[in-house]
Amino acid sequence: MRRLIATFIKEFKILIVDKTGITILFVMPVMLVFIMTLIQFEAYKSLTQSGIPVLLVNNDNGSLGLSLEKGFKKFSICKLTVDHGEKYKNSEDIKKRIVDGEFIVALVIPKGATNVLRDNVGEMTNSFFDKEKTTKQIATQVKIEVIVDPTASKSFVMAISSGLKEFIASVKTKVLFQIMGEKIAQLLDSDTKAVLPEQDFFVYDESYAVRNSGKTYEPNAVQHNIPAWAIFSIFFIVLPLAGSIINERSEGLFIRMRTFPGNYLSILSGKLFVYFFVAIIQFVMIMLLGKFVMPMLGLPVLDIGTHWFALTTLTIMLSLAAVSYGLLIGTLFSTPQQSAVFGGISILILSALGGIWVPVNLMPPIMQTISSVSPLNWALVGYYELFIKGGDWQAIQFQVLKLALFFIFSITVSYQLYKSKLRKY
Amino acid sequence: MKENSCIRVSNLSKKYSGSDSFALKDVTLEIFNGEIFGLLGPNGAGKTTFFSIVCGLLNATSGNAQIAGYSTDKDIESIKKIIGVVPQDIALYPTLSGRDNLMFIGRMYGLKGKVLKERVQECLSKFGFDKNSNEQVKKYSGGMKRRINLIGGILHEPEILLLDEPTVGMDVQTRTSMMEHLKELNKEKKMTILYTSHYLEQAELFCDRVAIMDQGQILCLGSPVDLIKKENGKDLEDVFLKFTGRKIRD
Ligand SMILES: Nc1ncnc2c1ncn2[C@@H]1O[C@H](COP(=O)(O)OP(=O)(O)O)[C@@H](O)[C@H]1O
Ligand SMILES: [Mg+2]
Repeated sequence: MRRLIATFIKEFKILIVDKTGITILFVMPVMLVFIMTLIQFEAYKSLTQSGIPVLLVNNDNGSLGLSLEKGFKKFSICKLTVDHGEKYKNSEDIKKRIVDGEFIVALVIPKGATNVLRDNVGEMTNSFFDKEKTTKQIATQVKIEVIVDPTASKSFVMAISSGLKEFIASVKTKVLFQIMGEKIAQLLDSDTKAVLPEQDFFVYDESYAVRNSGKTYEPNAVQHNIPAWAIFSIFFIVLPLAGSIINERSEGLFIRMRTFPGNYLSILSGKLFVYFFVAIIQFVMIMLLGKFVMPMLGLPVLDIGTHWFALTTLTIMLSLAAVSYGLLIGTLFSTPQQSAVFGGISILILSALGGIWVPVNLMPPIMQTISSVSPLNWALVGYYELFIKGGDWQAIQFQVLKLALFFIFSITVSYQLYKSKLRKY
Repeated sequence: MKENSCIRVSNLSKKYSGSDSFALKDVTLEIFNGEIFGLLGPNGAGKTTFFSIVCGLLNATSGNAQIAGYSTDKDIESIKKIIGVVPQDIALYPTLSGRDNLMFIGRMYGLKGKVLKERVQECLSKFGFDKNSNEQVKKYSGGMKRRINLIGGILHEPEILLLDEPTVGMDVQTRTSMMEHLKELNKEKKMTILYTSHYLEQAELFCDRVAIMDQGQILCLGSPVDLIKKENGKDLEDVFLKFTGRKIRD
């Protein structure tokens, strides 16, 4: 115990004067969390608050153009500009505006589009009532131009174009009913006109798929980024830890360590304990940042849920996994430079694979499979369960188990390697 | 075994794996309680190898070594508690101060609280450190580092002090003053001291006995005065050169 305290004090004193170490362990995480969260939050906010600039050039003067105008005006993600062919006469003109960044998407509805729709629907109904007339081909097509900024986010473009299709479909249905109604009235020789309701009889209720229990989570940049960058930062413990382990194997110190009373491996575990403690501090620090500091910048407050046991266990296992990886790197390599290069790059790769930078579900299928080998991914999946999906201990225990196995594996391999380093030949 | 034998080494041989010559060849040696013993030899003679086996850092190929009756093979933990070790290379954390390094080493030997603090302060003053004891070791001169390195071996006042080339790279003044300190420890605390070196003036002055070794073998053994007399040399260096020749070592 006394030796553990001695190691603790020594490592602590070494750490606080190690500017690089402090930067890696504490300054970098704070900056990463702030920058990444702010970037995502701002990007998200600016587009949802002011809307995506969309240009609707409506050359049609019938009901199709009108209902598209109405529809997009209600479409909350758009900031709509409507033009009736006064300002934007041709698509070259429009393209130039988009390239200049004035709009992200432009929709051009041609002249007489409603008439073409009516004609086509009329033909179709006629063929229904008149057996001799069979329509195999439609008379004329309406071409609706959709011009898109090539740098625009795919999901925005998709949202706009599916909105477009939806509005057209509903106009089509209305026109179909109208004409059918007229035909039927004609056949029945009646004057009654069908009154079509203004509202749609489908309403949509969107909600987030969460696991339980009444608690609703707001998926936002804070909930996503804070756990991701906390994991990333905790894994960067590998650099100072491996460096410190390797330095202690330098000629003189290694002799001193091995001639102290007791086993060197117990001294080494004292060091691991110190870094484990640092990892926990890092985590708590980042959580406090999310809870108390980020809201001051106008960001949402971090919600860490209420599953304390699950959260604590996951965090302890994550920290142990990171520390054991540091030990492994520090054991495998013989100079601090080698360990820093390999350790740093391997964490970057594991974090990219693990979905720290880009969500795993946006990766191609092969990458999604590969990503499940990254311990950073296991931890991330665990935190998303707790912070976003409302999961509890049950939902994360498999991730915790994988982290534990990784810890046991790294410790065992390092122990075997160390035994050979401590062999007296 | 003699009553007052402290380190006893018999027929000790060492061949490093992958090497085809012996680093130590059939060395038999006894060091008595309370003496200052100098193991002298040119570079590559096998001094560090001997030192490492005695500290339990290395296993011998054949033969055995005992310290205070404990075998280095079986009782290394008992040995670790009664020896102090000063490695040839500086064994300090460069970014910690001299004092913090010593506090750490003291704690690792089980010292604590006031005793530890006082012991560290006492040693620091004795070895000429005042304000600079709180500066980072990396800012120290070579001699200062060596002195802190040495204090690391004596803080816990071991029965037996083992030093590998403690005076290497020091000027004559520092070397002499360090040996004076060792002599003091030897007198006051009855510490047995084994040190290796290739400096002969200090050995001649301070050692009760010396052994001259080369190529893994002990060539002669005795008190400096006796050796000089017996070999008809004018000083220990003369005797040394007689035994080890003038060929340059790598
Ligand atoms: N780890 C090692 N592996 C192989 N040979 C070694 C090793 N260490 C020392 N030697 C060899 O053993 C001999 C004695 O070395 P050493 O004990 O370090 O000498 P000294 O300390 O007297 O300078 C030398 O020839 C050296 O090259
Ligand atoms: Mg040597």
